[in-house]
Amino acid sequence: MLPRVAGVMALVAIVACTGQIGQTGDRAGPPAVDPILAVESGVRRLSQAELDNTLRDLLGEDTTPATRLLNEDEFRPFDNDYTIQQASDALITSLEALAEEVAERAMSDAARRAALVPCTPANAGDEQCFREFLDAFLPRALRRAVTTEDIDSYIPLLAFASEDNAVVDNDFYTAVELAISAVLQDPEFLYRVEQGTPGDTPGLLELDGYEVASRMSYLLWASMPDDPLLAAAAAGTLDSPEGRGAEALRMLEDAKARTQLHRFHAMWLGYRSIPHSAELAGAFNRETSALIDRVILDEPGSYLRLFTMDETFVDDSLADHYGLPRPADGEGWVSYEGTGRAGILGHGALLAAFSKFEDTSPTQRGILVRTRFMCEEVPRPPPDVDADQPPQGAMDALCKYDRYAEHRDQSSSCAGCHSLVDPIGFGLENYDVAGRYREHDDGLPECLIEGSGEIVGVGAFNGPAELSRLLVDNDYVDACAVQQFLTFAMGRPTTTYEAELLQEMVESFRTGQHDFKAFIIDFIASDRFARRAQERL
Amino acid sequence: MAMKINRRAVLRGMASAAVSLPLLECMLPARISSAQTAPARYAILFAGQALGCDNYAKNQSRIDGQSVTEGGHYVADTSYGRGFALTTPLLPLQGMENDFTMVSNLAIPFNASSSDGSAVPSGGAYRDFHGGGCSPLLSGTRSTAAEFTCNGITSDQVIAELNAGQTTHKSLVVRSQPSFYVSGYSFAGRQYISYGPGGGRSARIEAQASPQVAYRSLFTGFVPDNDDDAARFDFEMRARRSVLDLVLEKRAKLVNNVGQADQERLERHFDEIRDLENRIGALPPIASGECFVPPDPGADPPIGGDHDGGGTGSVGPDSGYSDEHTRSRIFADLIHMAFVCDLTRAASLQITAFQSHMNARPIADGLGTLPGTTRPARWASVGGDLHEVGHNGDPNNRGQIPSAGLLQWHISHYAYLIDKLRNSPEGGGSVLDNSVIIFTPEAGHGLQLNDGTSQNQTHSVENMVMLMAGRAGGLNPGEHLNGNRAHPATVLITAMQAAGYTGNTLGDVSL
Repeated sequence: MLPRVAGVMALVAIVACTGQIGQTGDRAGPPAVDPILAVESGVRRLSQAELDNTLRDLLGEDTTPATRLLNEDEFRPFDNDYTIQQASDALITSLEALAEEVAERAMSDAARRAALVPCTPANAGDEQCFREFLDAFLPRALRRAVTTEDIDSYIPLLAFASEDNAVVDNDFYTAVELAISAVLQDPEFLYRVEQGTPGDTPGLLELDGYEVASRMSYLLWASMPDDPLLAAAAAGTLDSPEGRGAEALRMLEDAKARTQLHRFHAMWLGYRSIPHSAELAGAFNRETSALIDRVILDEPGSYLRLFTMDETFVDDSLADHYGLPRPADGEGWVSYEGTGRAGILGHGALLAAFSKFEDTSPTQRGILVRTRFMCEEVPRPPPDVDADQPPQGAMDALCKYDRYAEHRDQSSSCAGCHSLVDPIGFGLENYDVAGRYREHDDGLPECLIEGSGEIVGVGAFNGPAELSRLLVDNDYVDACAVQQFLTFAMGRPTTTYEAELLQEMVESFRTGQHDFKAFIIDFIASDRFARRAQERL
Repeated sequence: MAMKINRRAVLRGMASAAVSLPLLECMLPARISSAQTAPARYAILFAGQALGCDNYAKNQSRIDGQSVTEGGHYVADTSYGRGFALTTPLLPLQGMENDFTMVSNLAIPFNASSSDGSAVPSGGAYRDFHGGGCSPLLSGTRSTAAEFTCNGITSDQVIAELNAGQTTHKSLVVRSQPSFYVSGYSFAGRQYISYGPGGGRSARIEAQASPQVAYRSLFTGFVPDNDDDAARFDFEMRARRSVLDLVLEKRAKLVNNVGQADQERLERHFDEIRDLENRIGALPPIASGECFVPPDPGADPPIGGDHDGGGTGSVGPDSGYSDEHTRSRIFADLIHMAFVCDLTRAASLQITAFQSHMNARPIADGLGTLPGTTRPARWASVGGDLHEVGHNGDPNNRGQIPSAGLLQWHISHYAYLIDKLRNSPEGGGSVLDNSVIIFTPEAGHGLQLNDGTSQNQTHSVENMVMLMAGRAGGLNPGEHLNGNRAHPATVLITAMQAAGYTGNTLGDVSL
């Protein structure tokens, strides 16, 4: 029997491969609360993408200042792993610059200013109007109901509006600008701080409606809650599974949900920055996004079609690129029949990911499949191997397959690990770095590519369609998708203590006929989603 | 256990080299010069690059598909002592021969018989080159895994600690390469060269990668001369402080209501805001004499896109470059003026990240036209990224000359900084007379660290080279010294001592 749940439990599959196998996330022993009831969470700083989206939705800011001014996020594989976030002088000074720049721009644009300030100030020091602005702005910015005390704390800024200063061009909006700048530097804005109130189970905390709303919006939109979601939080609608489910359904209708699903898959499957021309990368992204939209949102049903779909969405130039028939109307779905392709593994986006040495890398592609599609861990090469070099053993060999001979030689120390990954990659060798079919090594007609591959211990295959079939039939991809989704939702790696939770989620995904949209809604509706456990140190 | 450099071995080695004085005495004839009245400054500039190319000897190259045998390109050619020959990488330092010393033939120890993490010798490198070399090179502390983490404090931060509280900024830590550039991957630690006390992940000092923000952080505290401008400045500073005060007032309420792990994260954030507030609130620096507010560099150059981390064929012209040239020059300007104005006495500039995948082509194409650079006589544009150039990623242009040209570009920023410092009067001399400025590449050239057997490799901690400019502490630069396999941290310790450090160790390494 093959492992039913991939990931942490599937480590047993690579025992033959000695090396360092990380125990990710198992920092401090068993959690205080059974993860089936509630998972641990900690304060999470908005990622660059989340901050840029939030500034867009909060202030109409469209210059992606976080991407410009903050240091690049680490992707593991998602951009939101809070366990490695660390405040620094560089962060704080960048955030101050960002806040001042964004606040100033919001006030210098009449339309954006009017959208933020719901009244016309009678004079520079109009406290009533300033309070009206704060009353409208703070709940959206802090993603919660605010108190008079909250509002009062900003009132001293009005002094900068009314100060009689001959050299400064100050007015009412000076105070608004400073208030926005203060909010944008407020850790309560920059982080998602969850507190919750103690329930019956020791260590278990029940989140309030606003905390749930933020969980929902950052999971589904990578951005702040909109007004209806905040209203639902205020009304207590999000306290019930039905209420959360209904809101999640509404939110999934929004274009922001599509973008987020695309982003999730791109980070998970490693194609978030496709190393090709902008034009080709754009076509690849449209192809893959169309498939994601279709199997999750437009034609809800089995998510497994992401891997098995027998047609693909292309425009004329992408069809020509692949050698597929052109679609009927310049852009549309065309059949994969007779091509050996299926689903997302047949896409240029995926086939371009993890290339190396200017060519496809059977090793890297094998690692991609093992780690991202099967959720296994592949140990890093031993230190005495220089992985920056192509395989050295048979450098003189003309054909690529022969150059990898050392990896296959059972008497060498390489075979233990490489036998787990290389045969997978060689089963995709007929597809080049841009996802085009090829009969032989690039520029070497004498090096015919056989294209036969194997997932050792699982089965043999040739090409993307057969590989996908193996992964689906052996229950890898559904389990792995669930684990990746949970990792993304929690903003941290899963731990071994969460294996049972994963198992339960996988079973429910299977019971629900792999309907990913229903799975997301159920995930949000579950009691667990509205709870947390305190992190251990 | 501290690792002593065997002085006798050093002397023995010296006997065969054309250097008459033992290394350290030569570099540091007097501990503190009595003439030095201004504070000592310390900076380290880092290049994520090797000295040569894999499988190419120091005089071997391939240019435009033709094999070339020609000396003078490897950074540390064989002429030692004063008046040593300037090689291709050192050409930007022309005219500054008496302002810097080059120490070559430095080596980090490793265990030739075992690649196990526990077998790494004191001050040594874990046998996986990238990642393994970082800690011993910059902190003198052995690495035990392939992690880009220094396990001890780095030299710049030793000096920062020494001067804590005496300047507005404890240190200035900046990085020119803003993105890792390899599709699907992240820096994962390759972006740190400065670590605070104790080292390790939590002691990492995040570099400021935005020149715009770094400029703002250093120079918006200056009071303008003009009365109206000064009044506006006063208004802006009061507003900034009020905003930060407002944020800080929320500290207790927010921090007290969360668990301990969350508290620690939020406290760290609030601490940094408090430090910023304190900097703004401190007596504003006054521009005077040589110290003035440099021109605003404006918006940062756009950040380049990703590529597949490969060679000529796969690193397109539009990817992997964010105008690191301009970014480096701005950062050098900022370090210079921060030193002149005594805003900080410790700085680090990471020009390119460890294992840098910056696109090499814009630099290669620009060599000779980019200010401060000189195009070698035999030169053809090099494709691929910086890392792949070292590993021969360009089939037609590889070996010593391409590598030397790209190293030259890195050194051009070092030369630019030194030139500015030596042209800034201070006391009876220049700011350079009171500074020590280190340049270090990531790698040497020789025996491969990973397999311990291959020769002429970039993944090497042998034949390492450091440049040390300035005359702080009585340093007397102007030579090429044979390090005779001394640990590179010995050079850092010497430099730190010149900058006022009274100890004689860095991590596991002692003088």
